[in-house]
Amino acid sequence: MSAILSERPAPVEARSGGGRPARRAVARWGWRLFRREWRRHLLVLSMLTLAVAATIVGLGTATNATKLKADPTFGTANTIVTLSGSNQRLAADIAALRAKAGPLDVVAHQQLAIPGSVASIDIRDQAPGGTFDRVTLRLDAGSYPAGPGEVALTSGLARQFDLKIGSTWTAGGTSRRVVGIVENPLNLLDEFALVAPGQARPPTTVSIFTSWHPGPGRGLGVSLNGSVSSRGPQHSGAADALVLALGTIGLLFVGLMAVAGFTVMAQRHQRALGMLSSLGATDRQVRLVMLADGAAVGALGALAGGVIGVGAWLAFVPTLQATSGHRIDRFGLPWWAVGVSLVLAVLTALIAAWWPARAITKASVIAAFAGRPSPPRSVRRFSAVGAVLVAGGLALLYFSDHGSDHTRPPFIVLGALVTPIGLLFLAPLAIRVLAAAAARTGVAVRLALRDLVRYQARSGAALGSITLALAITATIAVSSAASSTPDPVGNLAPDQLMMYVTPDTSAGQVPPLSAPQLGAVTGRLDQLARAIHATMVPLEQAYSPAAGLQPPISGPGGRTIPAGYPVASLAKVTIRPRGVEISGGFDPLYVATPALLAHYGISPSAVSSGADILTARSDLAGRKLFALQSPVGPGTANGGPPKVADVTPTLQHLTQLPRYSSAPGSLLTTAALQRLGLTALPGAWLVQAAHPLTGQQIHTAQAAAAGLGLYVEARTATKSSAALRNWSTAVGVLLALGVLGMTVGLIRSETAGALRILAAAGAGSATRRTITGATSGALALLGALLGTAGAYAALLVWYRSDLSPLGRVPVVNLVLIVAGLPLLASGGGWLLAGREPPAIARRPLD
Amino acid sequence: MTVLELRGVSKVYGEGSAQVHALREVSLSVGEGQLVAVMGPSGSGKSTLLTIAGTLEEPTSGDVLIAGEPVSGMGRDDRARIRRRCLGYVFQDFNLLAGLTVAENVSLPLELDGMPARSAVQCGLRALDELGLRGRAGSFPDELSGGERQRVAIARAVVGDRRLLLADEPSGALDSANGEAVMRLIRAACRRGVAGVVVTHDAQLASWADRVVFLRDGRIVDQTVPASGPESLLTPNP
Repeated sequence: MSAILSERPAPVEARSGGGRPARRAVARWGWRLFRREWRRHLLVLSMLTLAVAATIVGLGTATNATKLKADPTFGTANTIVTLSGSNQRLAADIAALRAKAGPLDVVAHQQLAIPGSVASIDIRDQAPGGTFDRVTLRLDAGSYPAGPGEVALTSGLARQFDLKIGSTWTAGGTSRRVVGIVENPLNLLDEFALVAPGQARPPTTVSIFTSWHPGPGRGLGVSLNGSVSSRGPQHSGAADALVLALGTIGLLFVGLMAVAGFTVMAQRHQRALGMLSSLGATDRQVRLVMLADGAAVGALGALAGGVIGVGAWLAFVPTLQATSGHRIDRFGLPWWAVGVSLVLAVLTALIAAWWPARAITKASVIAAFAGRPSPPRSVRRFSAVGAVLVAGGLALLYFSDHGSDHTRPPFIVLGALVTPIGLLFLAPLAIRVLAAAAARTGVAVRLALRDLVRYQARSGAALGSITLALAITATIAVSSAASSTPDPVGNLAPDQLMMYVTPDTSAGQVPPLSAPQLGAVTGRLDQLARAIHATMVPLEQAYSPAAGLQPPISGPGGRTIPAGYPVASLAKVTIRPRGVEISGGFDPLYVATPALLAHYGISPSAVSSGADILTARSDLAGRKLFALQSPVGPGTANGGPPKVADVTPTLQHLTQLPRYSSAPGSLLTTAALQRLGLTALPGAWLVQAAHPLTGQQIHTAQAAAAGLGLYVEARTATKSSAALRNWSTAVGVLLALGVLGMTVGLIRSETAGALRILAAAGAGSATRRTITGATSGALALLGALLGTAGAYAALLVWYRSDLSPLGRVPVVNLVLIVAGLPLLASGGGWLLAGREPPAIARRPLD
Repeated sequence: MTVLELRGVSKVYGEGSAQVHALREVSLSVGEGQLVAVMGPSGSGKSTLLTIAGTLEEPTSGDVLIAGEPVSGMGRDDRARIRRRCLGYVFQDFNLLAGLTVAENVSLPLELDGMPARSAVQCGLRALDELGLRGRAGSFPDELSGGERQRVAIARAVVGDRRLLLADEPSGALDSANGEAVMRLIRAACRRGVAGVVVTHDAQLASWADRVVFLRDGRIVDQTVPASGPESLLTPNP
């Protein structure tokens, strides 16, 4: 035994810290702790992994969805000059342009009407590999067309006409062999048929791409019979800001979760760390244990998150392509940002581990041995700092919008970072307020809330991460609802078709049908309706016979709008000495026939006798009921303006009517028809099927319409941000529940002594369940309220110039966040608690 | 030579009406090779005396000297150095680190003091050898019995050039046979020159001490020298 006392070698390291051997010993213990208790780290690790993965996918999405180097229309050109295809001086104009602006790409377009449809096909003559437009053309399969009889189609067109490579396609009287499938990688919704150079004959228009950019006051210097459009300012700064803001918020979230997690671990190891101090470990060595733990968790989380994030990104690319409408480069991730986020994730875990380690070393060894939490700090200073930070963050967001087209990316990033940090500082105050408010509740709830105050370090970090997760969720939900179109249905519901007698409803004139024509059309459409199990509602429009039959006019896509009667509409109208100017808001009117009212389930008796227009829309103020009542053109009396019915209509709001769609939504009452002396004529038919129409059924309808001289409009817009809102809500709620699971269990386990006392006093499992349920429910409720309030505060600042979009409230999502999550958390806590507290007096040293 | 000296040490917890005088003007000195037992009822200040003597807490007033060096006014790192080099603790709950092997637990104070791991483990192994635990050097604490764990804790407390051994109810979690064996080991360490302070409720275990100090309400109310008893049963080391 004497060897024990006499053989101690002199310390190699003279410094008080013990040097490298001490650090190695402590780090070894940290690593062993991690290895022994990796299951306890699992939740922190998985949350860290998830957050890193989400950050990577977010970075990829933000970069690829918003930061396009090329424009889907302009390619890399600055200006497109569009010349008419019928221009006799086309070649001379192109030569003059080339002399003035240098290299050009010339693309000819021939618009071919699709029989039986309001749509047309763009036959495009574009040479692959152009200087500016090469980025707008990509070959997906087969080959580019090389000769007169060849064509390459976009996949949408190929599907529409049931064609594949090798098929023969006849359009516009020309037969061509399909040799390839092409796309505009920057706009996957751009449908066109690519032909060999010089084969789009005769061209409807010719687009000339050039790098020349018209500066202020700079003309082209060439006299052209065409239009010039230039690329607008590019907001790459805003995209960068978005990427940075996403990254920083993601990492902040990672950090908060890690703080919550490491606070839990520090508390578990508090006695062991106290023992280490009693052996003579310095504060730095004690902190090193937690830092080693943090480094292990951070490195593993970053690695796993990186692998999963990149994998998830690769899997997400097809969905993102479909959503964004342009081709995404699978490996087009901002790798520098990904690398930085991984490094920052490790650093964040280290900092998160350091924070509770520092708190433990500040406490006395005796307190550590006893496992007593540090007394809660005064919330006054926290709250003041929080209020200042929130105000500062909102101010930064306010000033980030610098003029109409300019943003200050650093302001956005800082604002997005500082605002949630401020909310975190307010978390302890929120907990105290709730605890004070619960002073008159039952003992279980009261005890639960007071314990949240006692264990403020833990509950504050948990509340912070829940708040941030839900703030992000609420921001996505509210902003996506705000930026969505007022009516998410699109132009038509999937089970609807419109069949028009005119190829262009915006032309405002409808050709009359003779009685035999009308009979033939009605009979054929009835057959069609039976074939596709649909009902057919005839739609009438109104015109003044005094206006007379208007001559045919040219429509878009080279179509000719046949002679017809000018029909009444709702429009913003200005009568000028030389004519009538419709300045916007043109809405076609359909007559409120009994059949149409019945289709919408509106009783004719519900229509007020004084009403002119029936509508569900609330934004029609200022529109006039406009109807020509005299011929226009050279025959106009005295060359003055035409005579019009210029009436400010009396509106009756009926919510059953559709809004913002091609289905008839603004109806002219029969009473108004008579008052204005207008006459009804058949304008269209609404086909209403019982189920969403298939492509084949739409094709059948188009074929039938083509035979009858009608034009079909089917649903084209199906995109909705509802899925994004719902997914983000689900993810946010799950993250919040994960954090709750991690922290509530610990807070309750630390109060096992109190539970034993309660059990001794006769409290049963219901009390224990209520305590746990109240703890998790209170944290969830506070996080939901703070997060939603923070999101709305930031969005109010962001939308300050026009708050009306915020009127579209995602009620279901917010109810899920503010009410659903707390209920779920309470219920989960209640169900999972209730186990009898262990009677063992001594606790093992973790 | 006096290894531990407390001069008029007082300790007050709390403020105002919640104020508690845990120790009042306590003076105590423990010399080299001397074993002092501290007894007293619950709340008498025994554990507070031990934590102050072990530099884990600072006295409200009075001085603590360890090996003649005043501890008052030392920084946290300096007090940690004292704990690493001069004194060892034995706790009722053993307080071994679950993540380290027996040998690593014992050699930990040496490693913390800067000794290379290999040398520290060699020292630790020798200490374990002396306590008959060489064969369990690679085991983890949760693989040992209670008696074995406390022997490991004693090895850790005395490994290296420790001059003061502080034990808080070292046999509290053990049966009587193991408790006595632990006291025998502590006594043996003191015979080699280590100064020992043991807090205990058990009068029979206290009879191993050279001197018994009685505390009541934070004051030393009596000091006795027990008659030779169980110590006579101590068999010399083989």
